[in-house]
Amino acid sequence: MKSFSKMAWPYMLWLGAFVVIPMFLILMYSITRQGNSVITLNFTIENFAKFFSDSIFPIVLWRSLKIALITTVLCILIGYPCAYIIANMSERAQAFAILLITLPMWINMLIRTYAWKGILSYFDMDASIKVIIGMVYNFLPFMILQIHTSLSKLDRNLITAAEDLGADKFETFKRVILPLSIPGVISGITLVFLPAVSSFFIPKLLGGGEYVLIGNLIENYFISVGNWNYGSAISLIMALVIILSMFVTKKLDKKVGSED
Amino acid sequence: MKKLALCLLSVLMILSLGACSKKENKSDFDPIAEFGSDTLNVFNWGEYIGEETQKAFEEKYNVKVNYKMFDSNEEMYTSMIMGDSYDVIYPSDYMVERLIKEGRIQKLDTSLITNIDKIADGLASPDYDPAHEYSIPYFQGSVGIAYNKNMVTIEELEAEGWNILVNPKYKGQIFVYDADRDNFMPAFKALGYSMNTTDEAEIEAAYQWLLNQAKTMEPAYGTDEINDDMINGNYALAICYSGAASYIISENDEIGYYEPKQGTNVWSDAMCIPTDAKNVKLAHAWINFNLEKEVAMDNSIYVGYTSGQKEALAELSAEGGEFDGIEAYTPRVGYELDEEYHDDNVLKEKLAELWVKVKATKGE
Amino acid sequence: MEKLKNFLGKSYVWLVMLFFYVPIIYVCVFSFNESKSLTRFTGFSLQWYQKMFESRTIMEAIYYTVAIAVIATIVSTVVGTITAIGLSKSRKIVRDVVLQINDLPMMNPDIVTAIGFMLLFTSLHIEKGFMTILLAHIAFCIPYVILSVMPRLRQLDDNLAEAALDLGCTPVQALTKVIIPQLKTGIVSGALIAFTMSFDDFVISFFTSGSGINTIAIYVYSSIKRINPTINALSTIIVLIVTVVLIVVNVVPMIKDKKLKEGK
Repeated sequence: MKSFSKMAWPYMLWLGAFVVIPMFLILMYSITRQGNSVITLNFTIENFAKFFSDSIFPIVLWRSLKIALITTVLCILIGYPCAYIIANMSERAQAFAILLITLPMWINMLIRTYAWKGILSYFDMDASIKVIIGMVYNFLPFMILQIHTSLSKLDRNLITAAEDLGADKFETFKRVILPLSIPGVISGITLVFLPAVSSFFIPKLLGGGEYVLIGNLIENYFISVGNWNYGSAISLIMALVIILSMFVTKKLDKKVGSED
Repeated sequence: MKKLALCLLSVLMILSLGACSKKENKSDFDPIAEFGSDTLNVFNWGEYIGEETQKAFEEKYNVKVNYKMFDSNEEMYTSMIMGDSYDVIYPSDYMVERLIKEGRIQKLDTSLITNIDKIADGLASPDYDPAHEYSIPYFQGSVGIAYNKNMVTIEELEAEGWNILVNPKYKGQIFVYDADRDNFMPAFKALGYSMNTTDEAEIEAAYQWLLNQAKTMEPAYGTDEINDDMINGNYALAICYSGAASYIISENDEIGYYEPKQGTNVWSDAMCIPTDAKNVKLAHAWINFNLEKEVAMDNSIYVGYTSGQKEALAELSAEGGEFDGIEAYTPRVGYELDEEYHDDNVLKEKLAELWVKVKATKGE
Repeated sequence: MEKLKNFLGKSYVWLVMLFFYVPIIYVCVFSFNESKSLTRFTGFSLQWYQKMFESRTIMEAIYYTVAIAVIATIVSTVVGTITAIGLSKSRKIVRDVVLQINDLPMMNPDIVTAIGFMLLFTSLHIEKGFMTILLAHIAFCIPYVILSVMPRLRQLDDNLAEAALDLGCTPVQALTKVIIPQLKTGIVSGALIAFTMSFDDFVISFFTSGSGINTIAIYVYSSIKRINPTINALSTIIVLIVTVVLIVVNVVPMIKDKKLKEGK
């Protein structure tokens, strides 16, 4: 049986080649000076200094986090009731509803966003609202599916028990259903917040180019400006911020879990 | 779950088989004998070619054209320095200059381009490549202001020129392209500078001009949605390429096109062959093919931009031609304050960066 | 009261569904537009469908998108499953480290992963094309497969495999006859996630595609600046196919069910 452990070896090599080395390359680019196709061994911290010394870049980072946060909160507010109602339907209706929610995900995200561009062109609204609509649209299905999964796994007996013990509907929801569905909400948050922070084509398409988020900055520095070193530095900063916030979310998850 | 997966996979397989089924050969031309290859990698701007051109070329020479699109010179350049190998590319003037300087495009074999005498007169000797050693012009044009005649008068435009874009009277009614140079150009020209300036103070002044515009005018930034928006009368004024204006005016004659007296950017896009091209002979054939009168006309009619081919240009702008009476199709030539861009990567990078900041300011 | 609540609840779900389907309906409607515009409907026409089927570039984009998704799914499912089994028998420290690194591509924003791949291929002077997109897709799909197979492995009873070995099975037989069948649900859901991720991907394909290849997403992105309803026609066809497939897959078993019941 122990010999089975050898089966994981090839993938370790693969991880080295396709995860560790690319991350290392981004790191190398971010701490060296201009030189696009070949890494120049000319170390510097000016790329990071530039990010924090110019007020505009931290503002963009903050704006991206803010938009992603608003998107995540809206997804929970809209998605939770929806998932809850679906979870209380008959089994067949549930399967059908889930199917209806999954179907749009098979159509490329770009095409769906592109459609919103046409629809929203009829309305005169702020670029940030358009971007948020686009993001909620694209990421809401993930939230609903995650919450639905955790709600449908719920043991019905627990609810009956709570009711037998005299809890009213609201009380049951607050003390039994909600805490038990938190893991679903948390994994929903991961699936919404992560892509929302870094998305670059949703703001590009719906914000009409004027709504710059951190993903757009990265794309701009790689493609338009052609400064890969600085683009790498921004990528690294963004990756760190995200990994940190995910870490915090996971810790919170554990804390909530241990309280119950 | 498993059934669902299997079923989806099988249907998609069938779909893809249908998609890849080889087209029957239309001619018995032997491209390998003639050109040494039977595929061509073309890298052009999006929607920048006649609908039939690719197919006609494929059928004529019995070859396969892989067609990819970009939406800025810089995107094209980045792709090239990342090592992607193309056979024909379509850079603009300043980018041709840079590619020559860096040795990224090769000298053309003019004996293979028999239509070379069909280049339009205005492009006979462009600054970036006076003898057409490296590039063959494709489309040309200018940048101007598209205006809605019901909202703005020509007198106002003549009096203010580019400064009309910071006139508070039109707050919330102007549209500009989301591209660094198309915004710095009007700013430089409005201030009376050259758009190729490298003077720090002048760049700063133009940056301030744009910041002021972003803060006070509520301009909309975008791309080709302007075509629909102008046709529908959603904006009073828009910075516009002459070719886009031709299309807009052909759909709605209440729109006009004006080139300010302070000068503007005249540009051209050209066809070039990269140094690392793999199908050089076939690439020459493609360039020559696009200089045929019928092909050039098809390209120009579909895209709306001014042809770089003399016969097509003459016929389309002549009386009864497709663009008869549309002033934007024949942009101003030879005006002393009009300029072409020159390659200056440091300046370009700087403007690109400042432009990102202007946009980021507006989102506040 | 209960009825009213029920009604309100259902209406709410339908409202959310409407939100999901409005843009899709919009795309479909404008695919039949006579003019190039995406905001003014000027008349009915099928010209964009004709243009789509005539365009080799679009047809090839469909082909590459599907081919990449299918191959990436198969490879990443096999590799992911094998690795997950291997990891479950590895020492804890090895397993934890590998799983941590395995988490990175999932935690990392798409664009960072994509740029990492691009820098990798560029610095090794590998010419980008079908193979590079495929490698990149396999690389970002495997972690999802491992993620969905691992929990099943934890529930697995080790004694069963031991028993199989004791009874004379070769290790390969133990693997294919005992272990893998028990992981089936995890493997299938992993494969589905992998396929969806690959099929829906834009950013990673965009940065790793090179000169000769378009996928549907790359094609849409690069022609978005100059609007053209062939994209709508393409989307409508995809919607149609996906809908038909999903209906067939879901309705056929239902009918069979019914018949079985009636038969009783």
